[in-house]
Amino acid sequence: MVTERELKDLIEQVMSEMGVNEKDNEKQEEVLKAVLDKSSIDDEDILDITTIDLKKQLLVEGSENRDAYLKLKEYTPARVGISKAGARCKTQTLLRFRADHGVAMDAVFTYVSDDFLKDWNLLSVSTMCKDKDEYLTRPDLGRKFDDETIKLLKEECDMNAQVQIYISDGLSSTAIETNAKDTYDAIVQGLNSHGIKVGKPFFVKHGRVPAMDAIGEALNPEVVVVLIGERPGLATGESMSCYMAYKPTVGMPESNRTVVSNIHSGGTPAVEAGAHIADVIKTMLEQKASGLNLKL
Amino acid sequence: MKEDILSVGIDIGTSTTQLVFSNIIIENKASIVSVPMISIVEKKVIYRSEIYFTPLLSLTEIDAIGVKKIIEGEYRKAGIRPEDVDTGAVIITGETARKENASEVLKSLSGFAGEFVVATAGPDLEGIIAGKGAGAGEFSKQKGTVVANLDIGGGTTNISVFKNGDVIDTACLDIGGRLIKIDKENSEVTYLSEKMKQLVERIGLKISVGSKLDKNELEKITNKMAEVLEEIVGIKEPSEELELLITNHDLRRDYEIEYLSFTGGVADCISNQPDNWFQFEDVGFLLGKSIKDSKLTKEKKTLKPAETIRATVVGAGSHTTDISGSTIDVSEDVLPIKNIPILKLTEEDEKLSFDEMSKVIADKLKWFGLEDNKQLVALAIKGLKSGSFKYIQELSNSIINGMEEIINSNAPLIVIAESDMAKVLGQTLKTQLNNKKDIVCIDSIKVSDGDYIDIGKPLAEGKVVPVIVKTLLFNY
Repeated sequence: MVTERELKDLIEQVMSEMGVNEKDNEKQEEVLKAVLDKSSIDDEDILDITTIDLKKQLLVEGSENRDAYLKLKEYTPARVGISKAGARCKTQTLLRFRADHGVAMDAVFTYVSDDFLKDWNLLSVSTMCKDKDEYLTRPDLGRKFDDETIKLLKEECDMNAQVQIYISDGLSSTAIETNAKDTYDAIVQGLNSHGIKVGKPFFVKHGRVPAMDAIGEALNPEVVVVLIGERPGLATGESMSCYMAYKPTVGMPESNRTVVSNIHSGGTPAVEAGAHIADVIKTMLEQKASGLNLKL
Repeated sequence: MKEDILSVGIDIGTSTTQLVFSNIIIENKASIVSVPMISIVEKKVIYRSEIYFTPLLSLTEIDAIGVKKIIEGEYRKAGIRPEDVDTGAVIITGETARKENASEVLKSLSGFAGEFVVATAGPDLEGIIAGKGAGAGEFSKQKGTVVANLDIGGGTTNISVFKNGDVIDTACLDIGGRLIKIDKENSEVTYLSEKMKQLVERIGLKISVGSKLDKNELEKITNKMAEVLEEIVGIKEPSEELELLITNHDLRRDYEIEYLSFTGGVADCISNQPDNWFQFEDVGFLLGKSIKDSKLTKEKKTLKPAETIRATVVGAGSHTTDISGSTIDVSEDVLPIKNIPILKLTEEDEKLSFDEMSKVIADKLKWFGLEDNKQLVALAIKGLKSGSFKYIQELSNSIINGMEEIINSNAPLIVIAESDMAKVLGQTLKTQLNNKKDIVCIDSIKVSDGDYIDIGKPLAEGKVVPVIVKTLLFNY
């Protein structure tokens, strides 16, 4: 976010470049006010282009068979049928690229909101990463907790639960805010109907997938489950994964993990994924195994 | 991981009786990190029977024992036992379906042919099955075009129109090769169907039972039939004769047909010029010639079908079975279930509040007049594409309230959703009913009001169920 001071400097600079008297404070204030006063900007009629369903948008004009083209497009969110302007893509396609990239950046760099955590009443802890930059550049720290956090988890959470589910931002906070609660509720309903008990959920900030191993060692549940935001792409920033492991330990092979990915409105719906995950967890408890050792 | 399903198709038509066995191969196409997505990856016909004349006892009665003998013989020849068969359809088509003992014959055969073999009939469905068997549906999808398949059999012509792979229209006409029969030896007409008698009268021909065989006169009537076909596909203005020959309903004709494909016995008579026009003692060859000389083959492109006389039976064997979505919730013990009528909520119904929706469900359920304790009805909904957990809870509650009559009976609660939500909805229904009710909740199946559905035993380790949707009435 640009501060008011920076904005003032910017206006000053532009005005001086335009040859307006630098000392004309009055005019400067006027411009600043106009810029800051967001209500004067009417963007209501501007369409949010990221809301257009790419599968239903065909930009090719005069296509031989529009219906058939659209039918093919149903199979993929890829940017096909976008036409061109000379050798370049059309303005709309370019803007959409940039907007989707913006959505992806936002998904990575924003935090899961306090309101979300409060509404759900989740205890929030963090891995050893201090901020997003460190989270992105130091994957090793994103899978560890300091002693204090481990102590807190041991105090506040259920020890030796049958199933421990927790939520983690991973690379998309948007994915968590959009899907995690629905998936979680569906998992718990499914597990309860099988008579399986679930430990109290909590939230891990700056979490990488293998943080679940440390959680497993700290709380000693039979199965650890993490709902975590996936690295966003240009198709969606809302995709969430569910990683599961039977009695995970730090340093175990990655092949011990079971995963259900692509949970979002355009992939597997959050609730349906939850119901499926509940059955997978049940099978894990029965077979006492996960990952490649699990026969589904 | 592939799994084979053995499917049988049996078609007892106006003139011929046939059988095919098909292998339907299903496979989980989803990657290891995704929710399973099992789909049909291949269908191939592995055995084709001979083509038999349908044995009749009289003009109004099928020779049930004769039919059974044919089928038993073909099972033996193919080396397949009824218990090996996983799915399939026995259909009585065309005029034969109107014989007095048609349903009896169907029943006796469906029991014998395999546990989950479904007896079915109805002109709209027949047309669709033939169109799929002919490959017309697939062609329309690949080319992105509109194809009308005309399955011209002995007694009826079943028309199905496909656009981009979807059925968009159907119709049935009393046009066929054996509506007029001839005795070769005595050179005289031996049979005229009711509609043919009327048609003869209308156009003032001198053909009646016992009249002398006159190729020119007969050609006039087959030319008329071809003209009516031109009318129904929109080449010519509809006439009163079209009206006369419609069996159930007309095509809508609010779309442009690009390709025509011809199947059924008469299709083979279009390209072949016989030495003896009456070798089968009917007007099939004449009708074939009339079609060949008509605008049907000139003003529309002709698609060479994958099957001609076998289109319906191949369709019945290979294209009637579909599979449900791969995340479902079913009480396995109650399956298979057959001939379940569908109670479909309209889009408006689904927009109502959940309380109102319950009432609508309860009201519509009354239409089915559930008499005994075991009668089945399947509730079909579209459902939100990606609904919240709260939505599922409320929807489930609304379904339970609306289907109270079913809940209190011994029948299982059957719910069919179009959107991917069956597993969570099934689990929710079970939870809300304290696990005390058998539930069959499946998704990714599109059905309409008036359809019937059959649901088979789960496949692929319980992940999917085979489903046959029987469209008896095409929706307008």
